[in-house]
Amino acid sequence: MNKLGRGHRDKVHQFMTITGTSEKAAYQALKASDWHLEGAFDAFYSQPQPKSYTDARRLEDLYNRYKDAYADMIMADGITLLCSDILVDHQDIVMLVLSWHMKAATMCEFSKQEFIGGLQSLGVDSIEKLREKIPFMRSELKDDQKFREIYNFAFGWAKEKGQKSLALDTAIGMWQLLFAEKHWPLVDHWCQFLQARHNKAISRDTWSQLLEFAKTVDPQLSNYDVDGAWPYLIDEFVEYLIENGIIQNGQLSDWTQKH
Amino acid sequence: MNSSNQKKRNFQIEAFKHKVVVDPKYADKTWKILEHAITEIYNHNASGLSFEELYRNAYNMVLHKFGEKLYSGLVGTMTLHLQEMAKTIEAAQGNLFLEELNRKWNDHNKALQMIRDILMYMDRTFIPSNRKTPVHELGLNLWRDNVIHSSKIQTRLLDTLLELIQKERTGEIINRGLMRNIIKMLMDLGSSVYQEDFEKHFLEVSADFYRAESQDFIECCDCGDYLKKAERRLNEEIERVSLYLDSKSETKITNVVEKEMIASHMLRLVHMDNSGLVNMLIDDKYEDLGRMYNLFRRVPNGLPTIRDVMTSHLRETGKQLVTDAEKLKDPVEFVQCLLNEKDKYDKIINLAFSNDKTFQNALNSSFEYFINLNPRSPEFISLFVDEKLRKGLKGVSEEDVETILDKVMMLFRYLQEKDVFEKYYKQHLAKRLLSGKTVSDDAERSLIVKLKTECGYQFTSKLEGMFTDMKTSQDTMQGFYAAYAAELGDSPTLVVQVLTTGSWPTQPSITCNLPAEMSALCEKFRSYYLGTHTGRRLSWQTNMGTADLKAIFGKGQKHELNVSTYQMCVLMLFNSADRLSYKEIEQATEIPSSDLRRCLQSLACVKGKNVLRKEPMSKDIGEEDAFFVNDKFTSKFYKVKIGTVVAQKESEPEKQETRQRVEEDRKPQIEAAIVRIMKSRRVLDHNNIIAEVTKQLQSRFLANPGEIKKRIESLIERDFLERDSSDRRLYRYLA
Repeated sequence: MNKLGRGHRDKVHQFMTITGTSEKAAYQALKASDWHLEGAFDAFYSQPQPKSYTDARRLEDLYNRYKDAYADMIMADGITLLCSDILVDHQDIVMLVLSWHMKAATMCEFSKQEFIGGLQSLGVDSIEKLREKIPFMRSELKDDQKFREIYNFAFGWAKEKGQKSLALDTAIGMWQLLFAEKHWPLVDHWCQFLQARHNKAISRDTWSQLLEFAKTVDPQLSNYDVDGAWPYLIDEFVEYLIENGIIQNGQLSDWTQKH
Repeated sequence: MNSSNQKKRNFQIEAFKHKVVVDPKYADKTWKILEHAITEIYNHNASGLSFEELYRNAYNMVLHKFGEKLYSGLVGTMTLHLQEMAKTIEAAQGNLFLEELNRKWNDHNKALQMIRDILMYMDRTFIPSNRKTPVHELGLNLWRDNVIHSSKIQTRLLDTLLELIQKERTGEIINRGLMRNIIKMLMDLGSSVYQEDFEKHFLEVSADFYRAESQDFIECCDCGDYLKKAERRLNEEIERVSLYLDSKSETKITNVVEKEMIASHMLRLVHMDNSGLVNMLIDDKYEDLGRMYNLFRRVPNGLPTIRDVMTSHLRETGKQLVTDAEKLKDPVEFVQCLLNEKDKYDKIINLAFSNDKTFQNALNSSFEYFINLNPRSPEFISLFVDEKLRKGLKGVSEEDVETILDKVMMLFRYLQEKDVFEKYYKQHLAKRLLSGKTVSDDAERSLIVKLKTECGYQFTSKLEGMFTDMKTSQDTMQGFYAAYAAELGDSPTLVVQVLTTGSWPTQPSITCNLPAEMSALCEKFRSYYLGTHTGRRLSWQTNMGTADLKAIFGKGQKHELNVSTYQMCVLMLFNSADRLSYKEIEQATEIPSSDLRRCLQSLACVKGKNVLRKEPMSKDIGEEDAFFVNDKFTSKFYKVKIGTVVAQKESEPEKQETRQRVEEDRKPQIEAAIVRIMKSRRVLDHNNIIAEVTKQLQSRFLANPGEIKKRIESLIERDFLERDSSDRRLYRYLA
């Protein structure tokens, strides 16, 4: 490692910081992709995580630590404890990523299977190891493909059990959380629009299509295609933006200053 | 003959050998004879000549190889004679010029004929083999070159001809026979002569003439007159051609007239104030319109011009018609106006535009445009039909009934929102059937059949169900009375119509309290009916019935009152009470309050029908009002009609409600269409779904793309469809 040139060393450090892997793994990944950072990231994220050995009994113990007193699952209290153990605020988006790994059905609770299965797939069986995995989990949000999966997962996770749609307030909260990671300039207007005009629950199709909208249509709406098969609600949003002068002549005016 | 002691030789018949001495002067001499003959011929002295001798001379010349001399001699002589003739012609004064020319031409033709006959041998032998121009043709060419194209004649001839034509155009009489001969002469000389020496100039001059004339006319004539003049000129030119020009000139000269008189002024004519196309349409000027059609048809873009102006005028008047507040007050009047407008234009297209299909299409598209501008058109058309079927068609012959119904169907076809019409039609039909107020059962059924033919079985199945219910109810009543004949002797007569829910327009109703006599009877019917139809449920629609009451008033006046069921319930109360307050009536009958108020108003506040008296005498019904039988009630009729359930134009809130119901009904239809399409296509992109769904639903209503989108999303929610994972504009059917 000492023989690495300055440029390469920087790259290794970058790689480690972003992916949270060890120096050795970073070096190997970069070498394999001929010292192209982008290529190394692609390769890294597309391969499955190396399955490291997890101790089943330790996982069992860990589960029992958080398990609810009356039900065979981890509920709100347990989650609070977990969060403080791994030094993460329970509103932190990392908890969403963790839930995603666990394939959790609903927010604020983990079944035994979800908890243990999730930790196993991450290759951790202790609080310390979990804590170490946190930067990695954060980094996953930067990957386009994974972000989409997490985003779409969030819909099912955040909605009430037995409901088909997601309550508006919850949806807005989730959007604000998610779009803080992946900056979308129109997110505030979107939330305001929904509260003013829509006031109903959000369907799954609308939820998933919104991400596509945010990704493909530029904030000036210059490439918005009215025949683009966007959900009706999004079409209404565009009308709303134009009506209220937020988008004028293809310019996103600083509406917030006027109001 | 040889003597016999000559040497023996082969017996041959040898060709005639005239041991003619080839006299060098022979040819000259012979030629001189012929030349002289030609001169004599031109001098009208042919009678002294011997045809046979001349023919022989010519023949000999050719035979003895003097064809060339003969031919060139001919050319020379003829040329000289023609030049002389030309001089004579040139010398002719004024009008005699053409006559002289004609005369000389005839002379020349006669001479040419004789000359040709004489020189026939040369014509047939020497000329073809030496590729010379045959005699007749030669004669024509020489005439052309020496006479027609002579410098003094050429221009004068053309000018004279054109001058004569100009004279004729300005009304003078000219010698047409002479013209014909001269023109024929030019034609005989070859089509290029005709064209170059006459036709070309004729067309140019005519163009100038008509250009100027049309300019004059258009300044001073109105459209109709102008067209008459143009038509006359056109016919004149056609006649001119047939009388003395080459028939091939007809198209060319008519093109000139068409261009100068019609095409150049087309727009100005059509848009002329007070007399243009629009005025003609308004005033039904069939003759003028027909003339315009026939003339404009000849020029490029002529008919489209007429069509466009007609279309925009129609759309404008149609738009005014459907937005005219006055007309909209009376739906029947409104529809009648539409029909009148259609009749008017049908007649115009028939009489003036020779049933031109493109005009009919323009008419149809215009009607479709403005009828749909007014969202109440479907309702009004149904009301029109209702009026006709209730009374308007009384006494009308079957044929005329069919005609009117066909006209209604024609308006129906223009509607974009046919489902709205269906809704209203059903409501109005229900009222007609239940009140027994239909003029002709046959007419009703005939219209249903027409609707079925137009829109398919689905459209009319419920309507037909309504008719079936009526018939079945009749049978049921018969059965009921047969079964209970003995018991029902004294009871009031009950007539029940059993309506199948789903076929009839739905109206939620609370059953009111019927008078005792009636409710007992109704119960008997109910048990009878349910006895034969187990598993069904009957609910009395007291807001739709009628009753006939026999009443005796204070002074002994007897009347038969024809009232609604609600009114009957109210009136029957007065059999056991003299005075009743509003509240008491309400309690006893349980009629919903808004209906009750309307009911009491019709019984107590309408002049001529006030069988009840109200205190106080105000128009409105107050909670504290008291009611009495009006003992002083009078009417000149024995039968007094108070309650009728007649179809009428909806009030604003009713209209909103109906519109809402229509919109609600459309949602499942849109979804069904989407599912049908996706089931067969499996995968389809967004724009194509919208297009296909719109097309499928077109016969009922115009589907809104936004609504279709919402339905698609609803179907995605319910897992009928999903978006494709890679192309978000693609939808997939989920089995």
